[in-house]
Amino acid sequence: MVSPSLLVAIPLASAFAAPLVGLGSKKLAKCIPPLALAANLVIGLLLLPRVLEKAIVVSIGGFPPPFCINLMVGPLGLSLAILISLVGLLISIYATGYIKTEPTEKYHALFLLLATGALGIVLTGDIFNLFVFFEILCVASYGLTAYEKDRAGTEAAMKYLIQGTVGSTFILVAIGFLYGLFGTLNMADIATKVPSAEPLHLFLILAFFVVGFGVEAAIFPLNAWLPDAHSSAPSSVSAILSAIAIKTGVYAIARITYTLMNAQGFLIFISLIGIITLVVGEIAAYRQKDDIKRMLAYSSIGQIGLIVFAIGIGTSLGVFGALFQLVNHALAKCLLFLAAGYMIYRAGSKKLSDMQGLARRMPLTAVAFTVAAFSLVGLPPFAGFMSKLSIVSAALKTGRSAYVAFAAIALAATVVEGGYFFRVVQGLYFRGGSKGESVGPTKAKEAPAAALIPILVLAALVIAIGVYPQLVTNVLDHAAKELLDRGAYITNVLEAL
Amino acid sequence: MQQVANYMYYAGGGGLILIGLYMVMAKTNLVKIILGLSFLDTGTHVLLVAIGYVRGRTAPIFSEGMAETTPVVDPVPQAMVLTAIVIGVGVLGLALALAIQVYRHYGTLDVRNIRGLKW
Amino acid sequence: MAMETSFALILPVAFLAGKVSPALRNVVAVLAAAVSVLLVAVLYGQNLKLDYYALPFLGVELAMRTDALAWFFAIAVAAIGLLSIVFSLRYMQGRERLDFYYFAMLVVNAAMLGIVFSADLLSLFVFWEVMSWSTYLLISYRGGKAVAAGLKYMVMSIAGSCAMLLAIASLYATCGTLDLHGVAQGIAKASPGYSLFILLMFVLGFGIKNAIVPLHVWLPDAHSEAVSPFSAVLSSVLVRMGVYGLMLVMYGVLGEAGLARLKLGPVTFRHVLCWVAGVTILVPLLIAMLQDDAKRVVAWSSVGHGGYMLLGIAFGTALGVAGGLFHTLNYAVCVALLFLAVGAVEHRTGTRDLNELGGLMKRMPVTFVTALIAVCGLIGVPLTNGFVSKWFIYKTLITEGYPFLALVALIGTWATVLYGYKLIHNAFLGQLPSGYREVREVPFSMQLPMILLSLAVILFGVLPGIAVRAIGSAQASLGLKALESGLWALPPAVGELNTINILSGVIASLALVYVAFALATKARRVDQSDSYGAGSYVPMDRYQYSVNFYQRAHELIGPYVRDRVDEFYRWLVGKAEGFFEQARKMYSGNVNTYAAYIVIFLALLIILKLGGQI
Repeated sequence: MVSPSLLVAIPLASAFAAPLVGLGSKKLAKCIPPLALAANLVIGLLLLPRVLEKAIVVSIGGFPPPFCINLMVGPLGLSLAILISLVGLLISIYATGYIKTEPTEKYHALFLLLATGALGIVLTGDIFNLFVFFEILCVASYGLTAYEKDRAGTEAAMKYLIQGTVGSTFILVAIGFLYGLFGTLNMADIATKVPSAEPLHLFLILAFFVVGFGVEAAIFPLNAWLPDAHSSAPSSVSAILSAIAIKTGVYAIARITYTLMNAQGFLIFISLIGIITLVVGEIAAYRQKDDIKRMLAYSSIGQIGLIVFAIGIGTSLGVFGALFQLVNHALAKCLLFLAAGYMIYRAGSKKLSDMQGLARRMPLTAVAFTVAAFSLVGLPPFAGFMSKLSIVSAALKTGRSAYVAFAAIALAATVVEGGYFFRVVQGLYFRGGSKGESVGPTKAKEAPAAALIPILVLAALVIAIGVYPQLVTNVLDHAAKELLDRGAYITNVLEAL
Repeated sequence: MQQVANYMYYAGGGGLILIGLYMVMAKTNLVKIILGLSFLDTGTHVLLVAIGYVRGRTAPIFSEGMAETTPVVDPVPQAMVLTAIVIGVGVLGLALALAIQVYRHYGTLDVRNIRGLKW
Repeated sequence: MAMETSFALILPVAFLAGKVSPALRNVVAVLAAAVSVLLVAVLYGQNLKLDYYALPFLGVELAMRTDALAWFFAIAVAAIGLLSIVFSLRYMQGRERLDFYYFAMLVVNAAMLGIVFSADLLSLFVFWEVMSWSTYLLISYRGGKAVAAGLKYMVMSIAGSCAMLLAIASLYATCGTLDLHGVAQGIAKASPGYSLFILLMFVLGFGIKNAIVPLHVWLPDAHSEAVSPFSAVLSSVLVRMGVYGLMLVMYGVLGEAGLARLKLGPVTFRHVLCWVAGVTILVPLLIAMLQDDAKRVVAWSSVGHGGYMLLGIAFGTALGVAGGLFHTLNYAVCVALLFLAVGAVEHRTGTRDLNELGGLMKRMPVTFVTALIAVCGLIGVPLTNGFVSKWFIYKTLITEGYPFLALVALIGTWATVLYGYKLIHNAFLGQLPSGYREVREVPFSMQLPMILLSLAVILFGVLPGIAVRAIGSAQASLGLKALESGLWALPPAVGELNTINILSGVIASLALVYVAFALATKARRVDQSDSYGAGSYVPMDRYQYSVNFYQRAHELIGPYVRDRVDEFYRWLVGKAEGFFEQARKMYSGNVNTYAAYIVIFLALLIILKLGGQI
C-alpha cells in the first residue's frame, strides 16, 4: 500500500532534484515538476477509495500520537491534495513553454516547494507542522512573485513579504499561546482539551489565527497584497497562487474554527467578513480597465469572499458548497490566468482595449476564457452554477435572516461580476473591427501546444463538472462531513496506532 | 517583585513585537521596515521560549554527568524556536535581496514613493 | 414521446461539427429546426412527465413535462425558430462566424423548448440561464453598437436571474422540493407575506425578460441592434418566455386562491400588475410613434404589446387570460413577420432609417403585402388575428367595469395605428428615392417565411377557434376557467361574428373590383417626375416627404414622452461607478497602510470581544 507521506515527499525531493538535474540537462529539468505532480495525482487517486471509508493516519518517526507529528489523510485533506496535484500538474506543463527567464531550474524548484507547502498544509495533523509548511508555501511564493525581477514584480513581492511576515508572526504567537494553554501541538489532542479552557483565551487565540492565516487567505482588509502580487507575477505563478495558495489559508481557518476550536458563535462573523470581502473584491474588479490580470486578481478576492461566507454557514450543505466553490474557482481561475498569460503575450499589452478582437487569432484560448468566465459568474451548464446554487440554498435553509441578507448581497455582487466579465468576453469577440482590417494584435497567433493542452483540459473539466457534478460531489460531501465531525477526527487520530 | 519576575519575559517578548509592529507601520525606509520584521521575529521567539520556561529548571540538553531525571524546562518550545529562527533567517535574507532589487528599479527606499502598483 | 423532446436538445451540440462545409451546416441547421417542430407537433394533447437527471447532493430530481400550456408555447417557439433559420439562409450569407451564429440560434431554440417543457423550477432556471447567455452572445454578434446593447441586456438579465435564484432557493428551503406541484402545495401553507416576496422576485425576473416598464430599458437597443432574423426570434418568443413564466408562477404555483390573498385593503396584487401593464401599453407605444429607425419602432411596439399580454393575464377572467395568451401568439406572428420584412428591406437597400426610404411597393411587392398584413394584425383590423385577441381584452375590460384600463388599451391601439402607418408609408408608399430604383425583391427562401407568417395572421383571424381551443385546454391545465369555443367561429362569450361569411364577402367584392378594373380602359402610366414645373426643373430627391413624418406629434408630445427610466438607470450606474472608484482607492499602494490594516483588524476583533464581555 502506498504511504500518503509520499504525497509530500515526492514534490519535496523533486524540488531539490530539479537544480541538480539541471546542471546536466536543462530539458530534463523542465520535465521534473510535471512528472512529480503526475505521480502525486496518481497516488492521490489510488488512495481515495480507501480514505473515503476511513481516514489514514501516518505518524512520522513511528512515535504514537499525540506525541508525534502525524499526517491525517481524510477525505477533506486528500481531495484538496488531489486538486493541488492536478492544478499543479497542468500549470507545470504550461510553464515548460512559458517561463523563459534563466535560470529556469530556480523556477521549477520554487514551484515544487510551493506545491510541497500546500500539500503539507492540507495533510498534516500537527499545528506547528502546519505553520512550517505554511512558511514554505509563503517563502516560495515570495520568490516566485519576484521571479522575473522586473519593477512591478519586485515591488509586489516586497509588499507581499512584509504583510505575509506580519501575518506569520501572529500565527506563531497564537501557536505559542496554544502550547502554553494545552501543552501539546497535535491538533486532535488540542481538540480534546479545548472544552476545558476559558472562552476568552480561546477567542484570543482564534483571533490571532484568523488574522494570521487571513493574510494568506486574502480576506478583507488583509488582502492588499493580492492584487499587486497576482497581477505582477508571471502568469503561471499567478495561476498557482490564485488557485491553490490562497485556498490553503482558507483551509487553515476552516480547520482551526471547526475542528480545533469548535467556535460555533464565531461562524457568523466569518460569514460577515466573507461577504464584505466579496463585495469589495467585485467592486474593485469592475473598475479595472487597464490591466486584465489585476481584474482577475480582484475577482479572486471576491470569490474567496464567497467561499469564506459559505464556510461560515455551518451546515453540511454550506461547507459542501464552500468546498465545491473552492474546486470550481481553482479550476476556472487557473484557466483564466493561463489563458490571459498568452493573450497578454500575443497582444503585447495588459490593457483590455488592446485585446479587442483577439478571438479571431486565438480562437481556442478565447473559447476557454469564455467558458471559465461564465463558470465563475455562475451560468449553467458550467461548474460554477452548481456550487453557487448549493451555497445560496444552504444559506437560505438555515432560516436565519442574517444569512438570507448575506445571500441576497452575494447575488447582487454576482451582477457586478457579470458586468466586468462580460465586458471582456465581448471585447475579445465582438469588438475590434471587421474581418478585412487588421486591428490590434497583428502578430497574434494561437498559443503553443504546451499551453493549449492544460487550457483545454481545464475547460473540459469545467464543462464536465457542470454537466455531471456527480464527478466530485460524492467526495466533497464526505469531506464536508469530515470537517464538521470533530469527534470522528479525534478518534481517528488518537486511536490510530 | 515576584510578579514582575514572573511576567518579565512575556513583557519583553510582547514589547519587542509591539516595537516591530510600530516599525512596520510607521517607518518609511524599507530597511527599517525589514528591521521591524526582524524585531517581530525576535519578539515572537522570546515569547515562545518564555512560555516553555519553568522556574528552577535547567536547559534541556543532556551534557556529561547529568542524570536523566534532572528537571529541565520544556524542550518543545525551544525546538519550535529553532525552527522559527531558521524560517526567519530565510525570510529576512529574501527580504534584503528584494530590497536591493527594489532600489535598483526605483532608486529610492522610501516606501511612500514605491507605489507603482496601486488601486 | 418525451424522450424525443429531450433529443431535440442535444442537436445544437452535434451541430458544431458542421464546421465542415457551409452547405452542410445550413442543411443541418434547417433539419434540426424542422425536426423540433415535428417533435413538438407530435406531442399535442399529451400529458407526460419524464425524470431525466438527479442531483443527490441537493436531493432534487430534474424533470420535464408536457401539458397544454407547454405545448402552446412550444409550438410557437419551434415554428418561429424554423422560419427565422430559413430566413437567415440567404440573409446572413457572406457574414463571418456563421457557424457560431447557427449554433447559437439552435441553442436558443433548444433552451426555450427546455424552459417550456420543464417540470421543476431548477430545470426552468438552468434553461433560462442558457437562453440568456446564448441570447447575449447572439445580440452582440453584430459588433459596433450591438455590443453595448448586448451588455445592457446581459447585466439586466443576470439581475433578474439572481432575483429568481433567490426565490427558487428560498422555495427549496421552505418546501423541500422544487417540483412545481410540491412547491404549489408548500406555498399554500406559507404566509401571504412570503408568497408576496416570492411572487415579487419572480415578477422581477420574468418582468425583465418580458420588458415591463420600468424593467424594459434593454429591449429597444437589443432588438434594434441584433440581426433581423434573431430580432424576430427575440421579439416574438424569447420575451414571451416571461409571459410563460408569469402564467406558471401566478396560476400554476400560487393559484387563484394564493393570488387573492395578496392584498392591501381593496388593492390586490392583481390590480397593481394591471396598472403596471397599463403604463407599459401607454408610454412605449407613444414613443414608438416618434422613432426614425424602423427596427426601433418595432422594438418599442414589442414593449407596448407585452403590456397587453400582461394586462390580459393579470386580469384573471377566462376571457382576459385567453385574450392575453392569444395575443402572445398573435403578436409573435405579427412581430416576427415585421422584423423579417424590415430585415428584407434592409438587406436590399442597406438602411433602416425611415427618413430615407420610400416607395418600395413597386420594387418589393411581396415584402410590402406581407408587411401590410402584419401591421393590420398589429392594429387589430377585423379578419386578422390581432382583432380577435384585442377584442377579447377590450370586451373583458369593459364588461368587468374598468373604463380607465379600457381607455388605455384603446389609446394603445390608436398609437399602434399611427406608428404602423408610419412604417408602411415611409418604407413602401410614396416616392422611390433615385438610389433605390434598381432594388429587387428578396430571394424566395427569404420570402417563404414571410408568406407563411402572413397566412397565419389571416388564418387565426378567420378561424380563431383553432388557437382558442388550444388556449382553452391550457387554461384548464392551470386550473382556470376555460374559454369555450367552437372550431370555426369566435367564442360565444364574445359575441356572434361569422368570420367565414365576412371573408367570403370581402373576397367576392375584391374579385368584382378586379374584374371591373381589368375590363376598363388601360390607365396611362406616368413617371413621377413627369409633371409640370412651369419651365423650371423639378429636382427629384429634394422633396422626399417621408422625412420627419410626424413632426407635429414630435413637437406636441415629444418632450413628455421620453424614456425617463433609461435616463434614471444611466444616472444610477454613473453614481455606482463613482462609488466603486472611491472604494478601490483603499488599496493605496503604501505598505505602511497595508500593515496598519492588518494590525487594526486584529485590534478591532479583540476590542469588540472584550467590549462584548464587559
